[in-house]
Amino acid sequence: MGNDQAKKDLKIILFLCSWGPHAAFQQLQDKDCRIPAQVKMVRIPCSGRVSKALLFKPFEMGADGVALIGCGSGACRYGVGSITAERNTADTRRILDLLGLSRKRLRLAAFSPEDPQGLLDFLNDFVEEVAAIGKSPVQRPSKPEQPADSKAVIKEIIQKHDVYACQDCGKCSSACSLTLAGKQYSPRAMANAIIGGKLDDPQVQKDVWACLTCGICYDRCPSAVNFPEFIRDVRAVLKSSNGNGNEAHGGFFGSLARTMTSPELKGRHWHWLPEDIKTDAQSKVLFFGGCAPYFDVFFKNHLAPATLDSLKDSLRLLNFFDVHPILLDDERCCGHDLLWTGDRENFLKLAKLNIEAIAESGAEEVIVSCPEGYRTFVKDYPEAGLEMPFKVTHIHEFLEREISKGSVGFKPLDKKITFQDSCRLSRHMEMTDSARKLINRLAPESFTEMQDSGAGAICCGNCGWSGCDSFSKALQVKRLRQAKETQGDLLVTSCPKCQVHLRCAMQDPFFGKDLEIEMMDLTSVMAKTICWE
Amino acid sequence: MQKLEVIITGFGGQGIVLAGRILGQAASLGDHKESTLIQSYGPESRGGACSAQVIISDGTINYPYVRQPDILAAMSQAGFDKFVDQVRPEGFILIDQDLVKPKGLDRDYFAVPSTRMAEELGRKMMANIIMIGFITAVTQASTLEATRETVTKSVPKGTEEMNIKAFSKGYDYGLSLLKARDKKASGQSGALA
Ligand code: SF4
Ligand code: SF4
Ligand code: SF4
Repeated sequence: MGNDQAKKDLKIILFLCSWGPHAAFQQLQDKDCRIPAQVKMVRIPCSGRVSKALLFKPFEMGADGVALIGCGSGACRYGVGSITAERNTADTRRILDLLGLSRKRLRLAAFSPEDPQGLLDFLNDFVEEVAAIGKSPVQRPSKPEQPADSKAVIKEIIQKHDVYACQDCGKCSSACSLTLAGKQYSPRAMANAIIGGKLDDPQVQKDVWACLTCGICYDRCPSAVNFPEFIRDVRAVLKSSNGNGNEAHGGFFGSLARTMTSPELKGRHWHWLPEDIKTDAQSKVLFFGGCAPYFDVFFKNHLAPATLDSLKDSLRLLNFFDVHPILLDDERCCGHDLLWTGDRENFLKLAKLNIEAIAESGAEEVIVSCPEGYRTFVKDYPEAGLEMPFKVTHIHEFLEREISKGSVGFKPLDKKITFQDSCRLSRHMEMTDSARKLINRLAPESFTEMQDSGAGAICCGNCGWSGCDSFSKALQVKRLRQAKETQGDLLVTSCPKCQVHLRCAMQDPFFGKDLEIEMMDLTSVMAKTICWE
Repeated sequence: MQKLEVIITGFGGQGIVLAGRILGQAASLGDHKESTLIQSYGPESRGGACSAQVIISDGTINYPYVRQPDILAAMSQAGFDKFVDQVRPEGFILIDQDLVKPKGLDRDYFAVPSTRMAEELGRKMMANIIMIGFITAVTQASTLEATRETVTKSVPKGTEEMNIKAFSKGYDYGLSLLKARDKKASGQSGALA
């Protein structure tokens, strides 16, 4: 009985292509067939038009299953719809697996108008299968609360970051990568407009979401106006009044992070771990990897970013030094992107869940390899008033600590290298040296800095999966050109997202092979060459 | 009964005698063993050859001079040349790798760049403390806790922290070296299997 009730409560979204399958569906309706009541149908133009973000969205909203039904390969009116749908479904299923939601909750099928019975059987069977897995543990994420008096809140934010101290000197604008890339955009103008109460001005609203929060302006500002953090807080106010975050990739990564705020969700974050990597649940050290596994799946078809390598290689380096860390299988996103796109409420949920899980593991030290995760743990969790009963170390610091003990050397590396600073490490955390110390221990053919490096480095053109536009592309192109100008053949990075975004620009068909350069995370370069002496 | 005969050798001014005293004191006061120290200088104390002879034993020590060292720690070429042949076949030979070239030596030895490390720490004077850390890690003649403690008590007030840093450098280097040997022996020399 209880089981029947649970089955009745299931929510299943059916994306149904308007062509063949819909005709079949209509026949079922015409004949008054019993289409399972759990199924809510959404008509779509073509199965290939349902992006990964759209396929995933229902899961964020608490759906228990999603079916995408299109026309058979070869019968698609738009040509490649079926193939695209196949790819998107396969990737999204892998992501569901990583999340611990089970790939079986998502199905792709094709039906022709001649096969209404087949469609009905499919739907019944799918409902049975989803019922067997059970209801989704995902709870519909909360919407940020709108402040009663947003004007007063904005005023507070201005005060908190002392934006009044702006001297209107323009140093920020003349350093801002976006302005330099030709965008009609000025941080100081935006700041002054917000001070002047013009938050509702359409240009201001646009600009608030355009800023990359890369922090060059803050680095240059004589009044120390922390522009990125100011923008971040303003975004939180805008978001609560339904602001559009200018999200890249249909908002997929925001959805993903919000899904993870469900406490009941038990992820399978590390199920891809190679067998040679040693971990130990009793260890005092925990490795926090971040979202790289999702990037690898999401971009695999067009970017093949291999950001997972940075995790594997970080773990191999820990193992090299006999650290067999704890891994949390239900590790969640650190919340960085939610925080920086104004979703404070869900950021806090993630933060609390992460801290709780780590504290429960008994770890005394958490090693983080992702720069965003590092900043979030070290700065933003404590600033949000959260207490952490463990210390947090960036993998670069850990490596330097171990290597400096001695007896470790590096095999020659047959590459001319250059280095891409990540904004979170270099500017936000003032850690321009840590990576360079490690690089200087390596034995490459040469190491040449790019024209802009360290605290002045050009960013990868995107942050928090928001604000990607033609100007961020221009930035990326400029950055890759600088990398090529060093005559280097290996661009060493320290952030998985730099890998993704710069690789994206490299694949711009207009540039052909002009911008191509091999890229590898610093941890991978080290793992490849480190040896006991 | 276990007995260890140790010679630390180098030039006058390197803190060789202090090193010997710390080692012996750590073993006796910290680890509750017996120990003796004999120091000998060459013709002139500064810059000349110099050595400290330490004996550490579980029981009573009747004769304080070293006959056949179990451990030789050499911080000068002259000291090394003088004592190296006396070391027991299963004993330890430790050298400062920048000051001693173990030419013609056909047995195992352990090298540490203690002078260079001390320079990196900003005080060349601390090479002896680095060497003590190294001896402790490699030979376990005295325990880590006892030796650390003795270093703190034996150095001038106000320099404790610096000296402990130096001691840890030598100690960590020693452990790292032992680990490197183990790893290489087991065929695991890099991070990628
Ligand atoms: S650099 Fe600072 S003081 Fe100058 S205009 Fe920009 S925000 Fe104002
Ligand atoms: S944070 Fe970066 S993108 Fe935003 S205004 Fe400052 S320099 Fe420009
Ligand atoms: S740069 Fe490429 S990968 Fe990055 S957000 Fe923009 S489109 Fe996506």
